[in-house]
Amino acid sequence: MKEETTIAAPAGSGADIEAAGGMGPLRWLALIVFAGIVAVPLFMTSPFYIHLAVLVCLNVTIASGLLMLSRTGQLSLCQAAFVGVGAYVSVLTGTHFAFPFLLSALLGAAASALVAFLLGAAILRLRGVYFVLITFAFGELFRLAMLQAAPITGGANGIAGIPSASIFGFDFDTRKAFYCLAAAVALASLAFLLALFRTAKGHAIDAAGQNPNLAEATGISVRNTQLFAFTVGSGFAGLTGALLASYVGYISPESFNTSVSIGVVIMLVVGGRNSVLGPLIGSFIMTPLPELFRGAVQSQNIFYGVALILILRFLPQGIAGLRLFRRIEGEQV
Amino acid sequence: MNLQFLLGQALTNGLVIGLLYLLMAIGFTLVFGVMRIANFAHGEFYMLGAFVAFITVKWLGLPYIASVLAAFALALVLGWLIEVVVLKPFRGDELNGLIATLGLGMIIQNLALISFGPDPQSMPATVTGVFKMGSIVVPLSRLYVVAFSAAVLALLWFFLMHTRSGRALRAVVEDIEIARAQGIHAHIVYPLGFGLGVALAATAGALMAPVFSVSPFIGATPLFKAFIVVVLGGLGSIPGAALASLLLGLAESLGSTFFDGSTADMMIFVLVILVLVIRPSGLLGRAEN
Repeated sequence: MKEETTIAAPAGSGADIEAAGGMGPLRWLALIVFAGIVAVPLFMTSPFYIHLAVLVCLNVTIASGLLMLSRTGQLSLCQAAFVGVGAYVSVLTGTHFAFPFLLSALLGAAASALVAFLLGAAILRLRGVYFVLITFAFGELFRLAMLQAAPITGGANGIAGIPSASIFGFDFDTRKAFYCLAAAVALASLAFLLALFRTAKGHAIDAAGQNPNLAEATGISVRNTQLFAFTVGSGFAGLTGALLASYVGYISPESFNTSVSIGVVIMLVVGGRNSVLGPLIGSFIMTPLPELFRGAVQSQNIFYGVALILILRFLPQGIAGLRLFRRIEGEQV
Repeated sequence: MNLQFLLGQALTNGLVIGLLYLLMAIGFTLVFGVMRIANFAHGEFYMLGAFVAFITVKWLGLPYIASVLAAFALALVLGWLIEVVVLKPFRGDELNGLIATLGLGMIIQNLALISFGPDPQSMPATVTGVFKMGSIVVPLSRLYVVAFSAAVLALLWFFLMHTRSGRALRAVVEDIEIARAQGIHAHIVYPLGFGLGVALAATAGALMAPVFSVSPFIGATPLFKAFIVVVLGGLGSIPGAALASLLLGLAESLGSTFFDGSTADMMIFVLVILVLVIRPSGLLGRAEN
């Protein structure tokens, strides 16, 4: 999976323009505002708002993983299943073998990446739509399999009483402490994306998404690029699963069903599928939204559906495609 | 309970289920063939068809056959409207079109939830009694499903093969550019293809309503099965869908005779992946790049 050619970043992808753009006043301002937003939950007293902040961080990590795949021109409808693989593997290794949290979380992430690699190796040769259909089916089957394997997974009852995360003797057992952990992981995933899209691999990802035939002609294997993005992105999901399980303390097959996967897709579409800012904006907007519709799940879902179609139609680059955010990302408009 | 009896019963049930999957999958593959959109809202039209049958039979007291026709007609009109109003900008756009139908499905399902509530409701059986052939027993209500599905499929075949609009649809599925050059009207063919596809799903829903219960959530399973069928048979291929749905129906029925339902589902999924590894374009699909 190595690329000999280093192609220039396609027009519109932040990487090379960013270097030209430098750090203008707008970008400094954006950075300060962002740092402020990240720090705010540390000074909040309402447990509920800190809880929302934690969920935003976890969603940013999952959506960042999906962003990589989406930029290769593919879409997965089973990210929730990979979150689930990570959650179950980390919890089960933690309880059965008494592995420390860090090890079992990494095992969870590795397990998700491995499953994604095997699934991707088998089906990424197929045309785009087949891949989406199969990932949808896989998400359903993961849920069925977890229900079936009741002796290990607890079936529909799930697993309760999962201990909170503890790394090198430090317990992340309060909401605020856990927020620090979740925020660190989310920031790390964003930093990974920013770094990735400056490398040849990142350019290959964009090339595969924007013009697969041209990418192939310049020596990039579209299939291997997509497989790389799917594998790494699912690893992100798995790691988030381990965090989520230790934070909530309870997992069940229904925590990872297809509507959760669709939720991630909605976040990405609303936030923006071509920008590193996309997962950030999408999670920030869509995670607290259910609170506005408290007790009215149906109207909330109808709103999601309508928003999805309207954004696809009128703002296909998502909110990150707005002029302000494109300038923050360093594109000259 | 000898093996012959079990096998015979499983094969008959498999045929019934296979025909149901066929109705779903042909509609799905038709929509994909015309619009290049994998319609994730397809299962919701199955659900709407079931509710139309439920309402027309239970509340309005219409005969069963009229309720099936009503489901077909309503879904055709609704599908036509949705294509023109919502999906028109996404024609031929595989990825965005697919995401848009995810949104569409959410809207339809939740509107149904608001209107009908989440609880499953049962519809009065159309016919009671069983049909016996040797030791094999088939409820008459299922035989109805077989007869109706066969009739619908025959009509569809006639429409696609021997009418102007049907030929236009096939031409678009075959090659959109050439079809356009031949003067085929896109503003009719796209809505017609989508409307007809979802009307087939609604028909399947109306046919199955008296057999299973009716609720806003019933669309998920048939949608899932339709995916498996079209992936197995090759997207856009109607003969492929026919072969794959009968195979799936039989495999499922045999599988769940000897294993439980979920295990059978998982084994079939693994089988489908194996088929795709060996034949990436599906059983009867065209190789495309």
